[in-house]
Amino acid sequence: MLRLTKIMSLAALLVAPTMATAAEVNVVSWGGAYTESQKLGYGDPYQEKSGVQVNWIDYSGGLSEIKAQVESGAITWDIIDVYARDTIIGCDEGLFVEFDFDNDFPAGVNGMKASDDFFAPMPSDCAVGNILYSWNYAYNTDNINFDGSYPDSMEDFFNPSKYPGVRSLYSSAMSNLEFALVADGVPGADVYDYMEENGIDRALDKLSELCNDPNGGCIFWSAGAQPPEQLVSGEAIMATGWNGRHFNAIVNEGSPMKMVWDGQILDYEYFVLVKGGPNQAEAMEALKYFTSSEGLAGSAKHIAYAPFRISSLDIIMADEPWFNSPQAGAVEIMPHMPTAPANTKNYVLMNPEWYADNNTDINDAWEAWKANL
Amino acid sequence: MSAEIRTSDGELLSVKLRKVERRRRTTAFLLAAPLLFFIVFAYVIPIFQMLGRSVDNVQMNEFLSETHEVMQTWDGTEMPGEDVTSTFFYELKGLVEEKNHGKIATRLNYEKGGFTSLIKKTARKLKDFDENGNFLDQFIDVHKKWGDIEYWLALKRGTDAYHFRKYLTTFDYEQKFDGSIERIPEKKRINVTLWLRTIFVAAGVTFCCFLLAYPISHLLSVLPTRYSNLLMICVLLPFWTSLLVRTSSWMVLLQKQGVLNDTLVSLGIVADEGRLELMYNMTGTFIAMTQILLPFMVLPLYSVMKTIPPSLMRAATSMGATPFLAFRKIYFPLTYAGISAGSILVFVLSIGYYITPALVGGAKGTLISNRIAYHMQQSLDWSLATAMAAVLLVAVLIVYWLYNKIVGIDNMRLG
Repeated sequence: MLRLTKIMSLAALLVAPTMATAAEVNVVSWGGAYTESQKLGYGDPYQEKSGVQVNWIDYSGGLSEIKAQVESGAITWDIIDVYARDTIIGCDEGLFVEFDFDNDFPAGVNGMKASDDFFAPMPSDCAVGNILYSWNYAYNTDNINFDGSYPDSMEDFFNPSKYPGVRSLYSSAMSNLEFALVADGVPGADVYDYMEENGIDRALDKLSELCNDPNGGCIFWSAGAQPPEQLVSGEAIMATGWNGRHFNAIVNEGSPMKMVWDGQILDYEYFVLVKGGPNQAEAMEALKYFTSSEGLAGSAKHIAYAPFRISSLDIIMADEPWFNSPQAGAVEIMPHMPTAPANTKNYVLMNPEWYADNNTDINDAWEAWKANL
Repeated sequence: MSAEIRTSDGELLSVKLRKVERRRRTTAFLLAAPLLFFIVFAYVIPIFQMLGRSVDNVQMNEFLSETHEVMQTWDGTEMPGEDVTSTFFYELKGLVEEKNHGKIATRLNYEKGGFTSLIKKTARKLKDFDENGNFLDQFIDVHKKWGDIEYWLALKRGTDAYHFRKYLTTFDYEQKFDGSIERIPEKKRINVTLWLRTIFVAAGVTFCCFLLAYPISHLLSVLPTRYSNLLMICVLLPFWTSLLVRTSSWMVLLQKQGVLNDTLVSLGIVADEGRLELMYNMTGTFIAMTQILLPFMVLPLYSVMKTIPPSLMRAATSMGATPFLAFRKIYFPLTYAGISAGSILVFVLSIGYYITPALVGGAKGTLISNRIAYHMQQSLDWSLATAMAAVLLVAVLIVYWLYNKIVGIDNMRLG
């Protein structure tokens, strides 16, 4: 083990960029339009304000990279944008700094203390909320199968005799099990209680019905860009996906699509601070600004994800049309916000703890189901 | 007995010869040493250290060494006694103080789902425990799961310093507490299906590559150089394109509303409602993987066919063989070395493939490598990932051994 560690740190030394003398912070995120919104929304403003250089690094999720960095002792990342589940696992493994939440993070512009201003409680002591996004579904309004009547509930997504056509689903269990239970009549708020007792089987049965129906059928997407593309090309009549991607296709690209918010799953993104990162102190200061009311509202100018702070919505509403579309100009963003009251009539709050607990069981059951489809 | 032959400087010839030979060998070794050194340190040692993780559970064993010790005398038929629960309480308390309880929670969760939240909830309540009271009852008060013997059994299992369970999981088996080995419940069986599918896909792709590559290679070997060079560029072109670009192009071509289907519909070959399902199924996987791996079959075949003199076929026909018989008896056997070299290359590369099948294979696009990647990156169960990787490595070595047995590795020609 020791020798492996030495070899890995040697390799890391060879590829590590030469250290700049000016203060800098390395922030790791998902890339694409998302990182761009973070850079424009709070990265660049902070760099201007503080003089600390903010470097953006792309990654594809998961903890294996940071785990390898920590094990080899050559840490190059300061702040990482992660899923809730990863903040739990990473916090348990001691990879991230634990926060003293209300002391570490400023109150909102509305005066509420940080822990109340954030839309949902943090899944672990190492997490600070960044955005809320939605898993919902969209359909192609031009698809001839619709014939004048359009779907408006999760039940419709699972009703191939009413709306015949292929559905596109996420390639992992996440989101599909929840959607299936909501379509089967379980209220959004109770989904995870049902999961505990036979809910997984019930959800998989519901999904089998849809996917084996001669009028239905399922294809699977794994990259976020796929659902809008499959809708526009006609490959699928309805597709689940991330609201930001659907929004981008509708507003920026003018695609004939519409989102359905019934049964949406609100999911979260968090920032974590790497323990023993190269610039831990500077990174903490940067993180305070990133997750302030203004900082989070700033990113919503460039992407249709909801800022995690409730007070950020006040800033947005006071200044509509807030969204800055490069193609369509200024656009009102509130109707497309996952947390807007009109869109949260029946929703599921993603339960990362349930996933952390049952990860292996869910995944095995899901893959076995898919293999026998 | 022969006379001793000496060289001009009076040394024995045999000794001198050995010396010269040794110097030559040393020089040769020194030239190859950097590569050898690199392979051993950057490849062989890390691989074996990584594979060691599939059986290594020493850290867990150290974290809970006393509990493990005490549990050895517990037979597991009924709930553990106070000796076990109290030892576990004090050890867990120590771990919480050092903030190491998260690590055991994650690892125990691989043994039994639900442990993550169980350990964390318990860790928060430890300070409220009455150290004079009954520990088991207090554990159950914190969380009813402690009343389920399965969790205590998992705790015992999960603190063994070494284990081979991950290899059982790899083949959908599990070891019960009494030591018997059983298949896991049907709804969770997935790995055997994936192993079989992986081998099926790899063998199928190898066969498709062979069918396509054989005529191409033959054509390449008989064409004049200026034409064959051009054709060779066409064969190599996929090599110079990124894997993802190639895969995405196939998606554009093969999807239901894609180029190929559009063409077939406009030519009236298939009806608009009867568009072919060429993607998101096995067909898609085979088409895309065959195209990507084709050059690995063409090159060895071409290099072998290039060396077969055309006069051999002419000689056979002149002696009365039909063209087919001459091909079967003369030409085909001479290409065995190329076929086997190409097949082993394509086969070995295909069993490690997973990005292409995941993108174009739809519900049936999961192969065993996807699971390895999943456990490596998502669940972080590196023990299971490395156990699967070890099995995959052994499978490749078996293929190599078979190849060496049947064809002989000296006959391999790669171009």
